[in-house]
Amino acid sequence: MDSVLTTCPFCACGCSLYVQASNGRPTGVAPSENHPVSRGRLCARGWNAHEAPAWGDRLTRPLVRRGGRLEPTSWENALELARASLTTLIEAGKDVGVLGSARATNEENYLAVRLARGALRTGSVDSFLRATYQPLVDGIVAVANGRAPAGTLADVEASDFILVLEGDLANTHPQAAHAVIKAVKAGARLVTVGCARTQLARLAALHLPALPGERGFLVAGLVAAAVAEPEPAGSPERPLPGFEALRGSVAALPVSEQLRQVARWLAQATRAGILVGPDGGPPERLVREGTAIATLAAVTGHLGRPGSALLPLPARGNLRGACEMGVMPHLLPGTIPLTEATAGARLARVWGRAPASALGLTAAGMPGRVAGLVVHAEDVPAVAPTGQDVLEALGQTECLVVLDAFLTPTARAAHVVLPVASFAEGEGTITSLEGRVQRVRPAARPPGEARHGWRALSELSAALGLPFPYRSANDVLREIGEVVPAYAAVADGTRDEAWGTFTSPPSDDREPTLRPLAADRVVAALPAVLALEGVFDWGSDPLVSLSPTLCRDHVSRRKLYPQGLVQMSRRDADGLGVRHGWSVRLASAHGEVALPIVLCNELEPGVLLVPYAFRERVAGVLGGRSEVPVTAEKVQ
Amino acid sequence: MANEARTISKRDVAGWLAALMRRAEVIAPVAAHGGDVAFAAISSPEQVVFDFQNSLHPPKQFVLPQTDPLVVIRRNGNGIELEPVRDAHPRVIFNLRSCDARSLAFLYRMHASDLPDGAYLARAENVTLVSLACTVPCELGFCTCCDAGPFLKEGTDVQLTDLGEHLLAEPGTDKGLAMLSEAGDLFRPARPDEERRRLELEEAAKRAFGAETCHFASAMRRVSTGRVPEELWGTMSDWCLECGGCNFVCPTCYCFSVKDMKQDGSWVRCRTWDSCQYQAFTLEASGHNPRERRADRIKRRFFHKVSAQYYLRDGTVGCVGCGRCVRVCLGTTDMPAVVEAIRKGAWNG
Ligand code: SF4
Ligand code: SF4
Repeated sequence: MDSVLTTCPFCACGCSLYVQASNGRPTGVAPSENHPVSRGRLCARGWNAHEAPAWGDRLTRPLVRRGGRLEPTSWENALELARASLTTLIEAGKDVGVLGSARATNEENYLAVRLARGALRTGSVDSFLRATYQPLVDGIVAVANGRAPAGTLADVEASDFILVLEGDLANTHPQAAHAVIKAVKAGARLVTVGCARTQLARLAALHLPALPGERGFLVAGLVAAAVAEPEPAGSPERPLPGFEALRGSVAALPVSEQLRQVARWLAQATRAGILVGPDGGPPERLVREGTAIATLAAVTGHLGRPGSALLPLPARGNLRGACEMGVMPHLLPGTIPLTEATAGARLARVWGRAPASALGLTAAGMPGRVAGLVVHAEDVPAVAPTGQDVLEALGQTECLVVLDAFLTPTARAAHVVLPVASFAEGEGTITSLEGRVQRVRPAARPPGEARHGWRALSELSAALGLPFPYRSANDVLREIGEVVPAYAAVADGTRDEAWGTFTSPPSDDREPTLRPLAADRVVAALPAVLALEGVFDWGSDPLVSLSPTLCRDHVSRRKLYPQGLVQMSRRDADGLGVRHGWSVRLASAHGEVALPIVLCNELEPGVLLVPYAFRERVAGVLGGRSEVPVTAEKVQ
Repeated sequence: MANEARTISKRDVAGWLAALMRRAEVIAPVAAHGGDVAFAAISSPEQVVFDFQNSLHPPKQFVLPQTDPLVVIRRNGNGIELEPVRDAHPRVIFNLRSCDARSLAFLYRMHASDLPDGAYLARAENVTLVSLACTVPCELGFCTCCDAGPFLKEGTDVQLTDLGEHLLAEPGTDKGLAMLSEAGDLFRPARPDEERRRLELEEAAKRAFGAETCHFASAMRRVSTGRVPEELWGTMSDWCLECGGCNFVCPTCYCFSVKDMKQDGSWVRCRTWDSCQYQAFTLEASGHNPRERRADRIKRRFFHKVSAQYYLRDGTVGCVGCGRCVRVCLGTTDMPAVVEAIRKGAWNG
């Protein structure tokens, strides 16, 4: 039995674990006691990480579509077919695009960008989950004067005050939830914000209810409370630039005694941890939310303070890395503006070809719009906001090239399928929510003819005329170090004996810049607002859905509720005269739907939540928005 | 068999291990990444570490692997052919700690009674345990409360004690005695002063256990007489993150699921580790789940581990005091913490 230390492939906490393998198949997982993040502790996903690679439907040979069916072929044929089709489309002036993924390594994501902006000469490169994370980061970075989010989960655990803008951390980011629980046990004061009283909310000193989409509004209220204090302890000694304009912008916001209390706690804290769960909604709103959060940290003296942490939580594993590699239509590798000349010149030198610097299509904009699409390790219906409905648009693609370890629904729809290693056989690095870049190490060989993802992407790029100089994933990482400033030290630092390297210094003394906050309420009309729960469904992720142990809860819920479900507080249910399992009709300005209800004691009255897994069911009612006012009535 | 005690010079241990490796797979604690210690099959005697706190992942995996193939299922014409998988490879688990040796004896009893479990027994019967007594208590252990250490009177084939220049080896079973005899003159009979030293070390080790007590008896009384307030389970359940780690690293946990793995045109029916803390553990095919609430699952875990019913059956609580669940818990609901809560009728987070 072999046992190889690697990085957990699921959420972005960045736990480390040993994958055990025998006869070339992963058979188990062992924790690493000394790893600085996980310290021997894993969540259920981590403990079962070996299962999907061993039990899943693995791709072992390249496949091409012939007469409507996928048939095995050689790598040469598959690459040639992909080249010929994509080239024809480009020559005909049609749009092509590339999707990277939070399930892929930094090296693969970087090569996806190189493939798009270098070989295919398009700016349409993105990943679906970016929209739930990067806008928040953009908002934070603007206040922090370019400083990337900083702090560690160890900081959070040592904090005396913690503010959690949820999601449901116990499910989405268990190791982060652990840090919070440990801090609370040690006496830290916890405040949670959200539309549900989740597990962490029940441990909190105070829970601040916020309607879906109104987290930013609530945080702006906290800022208003903080700047109204005459001289809050812990606040910076002299007013920060922009302070007066900020104060003016929030002066009219209502400030409750609760908000005042929380602002005071935060200002008095020696070390504060602020955890920002992923959020849905229009990007401008998320940028505003990020701005409000960083402003709150700045005016209470915690932004950049050593020991204090402000961490937006990527919805899935390597989302932070994918963004930093430049899997974004509007920024270059290293989150550098498209128009920045030095960065463009540097890429041109390293690639031997100037990068396409056009603003491209977003992930959600690509299906149905681009004629050619290369998808690396992304199962589109699992992550697209439109869910299964996206398959129809995907079906219109003239050339769909999919690189994956598993036969996902996206791979089934492809014209060319290139089999690549799963995380258990892969090599490269991934970046955690802390900005810790850690190795993925192979515990087994890729099955059959599957190749390492970095190699498959390089070969595809070479077929398209942009040759590659890499002999290993490490060569790719070295090149990343040349073009992504924050990764300059990483290429050497993640040597095998280390526990990973941080992309950015944990703190520096850059002074924040305050700006006026625009805090608009997004949901005015009550009594009820309908929203999706979360922004990502683990049950659709191949590493969960193909794991016999991890898929059970999700599969059973789908069996029990084939038509979907809506969660409702008991008070709302009593008001409508309905019971658990009965159906209600939900109607908005956009449409209506009947759904069975599931009673949820954690939910604020007036909030109706549909699990993200069932988002197609309410697409018509939501009308493309992330939350809408609805009326609900009992189905007779 | 105490009077059969022998000693081996530390210089000769490598030779002994090399001899063992010629006829068995030798599994021992080795240095892994960055200070981690893990049990693994060794390829050279030098890999074995002697100075270590117990590994977080227990050696149970070598008799009860996380993925355990039981039967190969093949199509044969119109029928189905079944071929049991039996792993009777000879193994020596070397330098395992007292609590772990004790746990393997527990697991053996469990798998041998009622319906004997052939796959398990094939492995377990071909394992020889060479345990290393603990002269210094480990940081979080409470083996003294479970009669599972720091030294053992039974449950191991050979017990080693580190005497400095030498190791004292006490055979605990005929198998152990035979193993020592086969090693020939690498060992010599222990001198009386060496045996005295061993007893002193045991006394010192027991004294070194300070406040690490786990009050199983009073907890068991409360569990078995229905004197645990029902709300307690609900309160505690908010401090558990349902990772299953407590079960996976518990050297006495053995619950499993059964799944079929496709492999080169056939199917392999596997036993895989499962956790009673997972919601789907008791999920029924109808979709009904008798223990849907996490509170009920935590309750179930402790009603198994520390109830009189199982104590009478197994002769011990379902815990050897290794302290691993304290280290692995993603929440704070480890064995000592919950036992204390049961005893006091209150939870302090
Ligand atoms: S908390 Fe996240 S990184 Fe850690 S084991 Fe769980 S899924 Fe993996
Ligand atoms: S180890 Fe702790 S958090 Fe994990 S399931 Fe067990 S009691 Fe719950």
